Amino acid sequence: MSSAFREAIHLILSGNSTLFNIIGVTLRMSLTSSLLALLIGVPLGALLGCSKFPGKKILVILTRTMIGLPPVVCGLLCYLMFCGVGPLRHLHLLYTVNGMIIAQLILITPIVIGLLESFSAGVYPALRDSARGMGFRKGKTVLLLMNECRYSILTTYLLALARALAEVGAVSMVGGAIVHKTNVMTTAIMAYTNMGQFQNAMALGIVLILLALVLTTVVSLMQKEVPQ
Amino acid sequence: MKRTLAILLAVCMIFVLCACGAEETTPVSESVAEESVSADESSVDLQILMEEDDSMINTYSLLAVNPDANFVDADGNAVADVELNTEGADALINWLLSEEGEELAANYGYDEYGEYLFYGLEGAPVSEAEIPEATDETKEIRISTTTSVNDSGLLGYLLPIFEDEYGYEVEVFSAGTGKAIANAKDGNADLILVHAKAQEEEFVADGFARVVEGMDTERLSFLYNFFVLCGPSADPAGVADCDNVLDAFAAIADGEYKFISRGDMSGTHTKELSLWPEDLGITEDPATFEDYSEWYISSNAGMGVCLTMAEEEGAYVLSDKATFLTFRANDGELEEAA
Repeated sequence: MSSAFREAIHLILSGNSTLFNIIGVTLRMSLTSSLLALLIGVPLGALLGCSKFPGKKILVILTRTMIGLPPVVCGLLCYLMFCGVGPLRHLHLLYTVNGMIIAQLILITPIVIGLLESFSAGVYPALRDSARGMGFRKGKTVLLLMNECRYSILTTYLLALARALAEVGAVSMVGGAIVHKTNVMTTAIMAYTNMGQFQNAMALGIVLILLALVLTTVVSLMQKEVPQ
Repeated sequence: MKRTLAILLAVCMIFVLCACGAEETTPVSESVAEESVSADESSVDLQILMEEDDSMINTYSLLAVNPDANFVDADGNAVADVELNTEGADALINWLLSEEGEELAANYGYDEYGEYLFYGLEGAPVSEAEIPEATDETKEIRISTTTSVNDSGLLGYLLPIFEDEYGYEVEVFSAGTGKAIANAKDGNADLILVHAKAQEEEFVADGFARVVEGMDTERLSFLYNFFVLCGPSADPAGVADCDNVLDAFAAIADGEYKFISRGDMSGTHTKELSLWPEDLGITEDPATFEDYSEWYISSNAGMGVCLTMAEEEGAYVLSDKATFLTFRANDGELEEAA
């Protein structure tokens, strides 16, 4: 382990261009997919948490089921859609970073929706009353709700980002781990392991953990500024 | 906000300090590793016990994918308009079969390992066709290949030379031979480079391959090397003294010595299945080796993982030479980590 750690540091400091390409693709993929998931999931989750309509319970259960969607199944689904004989083949998404982002969106968005739903369902009743008391309209009430949920939204974002960074099943199927194009940290670790180069695999694993540490620190510090 | 920045800065500082501290100790560990390797080259016990046997010849072939093949989607419906880059595939094939390409491939790995990893196949097709520069439409070439070709570093060595010279961009998808071929059948590859004759012939018979202009056949075999039978240095089955590899496999089966099988329909697995004595009846179907589960270990894993298992268990294993040499070259560090 200690030698793997030294190897990891050595890898980072040596300015290995392949490593930086892998880190770049990893960041591009996971930041894009987690931010998009946040943009889509937060309004939907808040809406779901604050509204009442027949069939809502079913929708909530479906969302919660989607949270448990195995990445490999998601990857397989996207592969069948995007592959050369699939129905969406003309979009040319297979073995591209954009294809990987879409697969991750399918995985992550339900997490954001599900968490936001439970957060907003918790604070909404009290909030609605005070908003009414102050004579707020719907638009302002939503802003107030977002304000109340700021802390929770950042927690949700951390979870989404962590899933995007650590996930391997879907991205390896949709991305194909093509070197210099769609190879991310997790798929590169798999490739090294299969080659029997455990040292390199472990080193990359440590780099990935460090990357997660830096990203998580930044988000956590942002969260610190926000009242709970 | 200031406090935030201060904390962030502190984290970065700690990180850099750790990094520098570790960096200083790196040279020491490297020299130790070098010493241990040079003092006793095989700190890994696993050794090549048999190689260069005619039954273990491992031929690599190029096949261009036919855009007019009968592609079908997951439900079995025909798909007519699969988009393939045939001009790009032709360019890459013509380059690999040119004198320059073959020479580069055949000499690959000698400097690094002191042994040739691939040999040019005698009577291989030679291309003298002129290779066009890449255009926007033909620029991206997708090749589907086996892990052993990719892991040996052969394509990583050859392709940049080709890309620099003609301006193409080659995307390499690598998996076991079975999956690499399935990938092409799904219309995701312009050409394939694999090493399992029976599966290649089936690919041709199904109409998925096409004849590149100026060539005689679909299946263009151009490189070969040998599989190697590896095992513990003590060699309890006496494999090293066997006359040929078939006897060696019979000896392993007779003594019920542990054998690690890939079990994943890769080219290596296909070859291994053909080497067992016929009366054992071992095929890729798990039911056929149920009775031998004491010693026949079907791992369903990559070559590197199988080699590590063999090392741990003191078992025999069939490997392509390139992966074994990489495995052995890395073992000093591997031992240290364990």
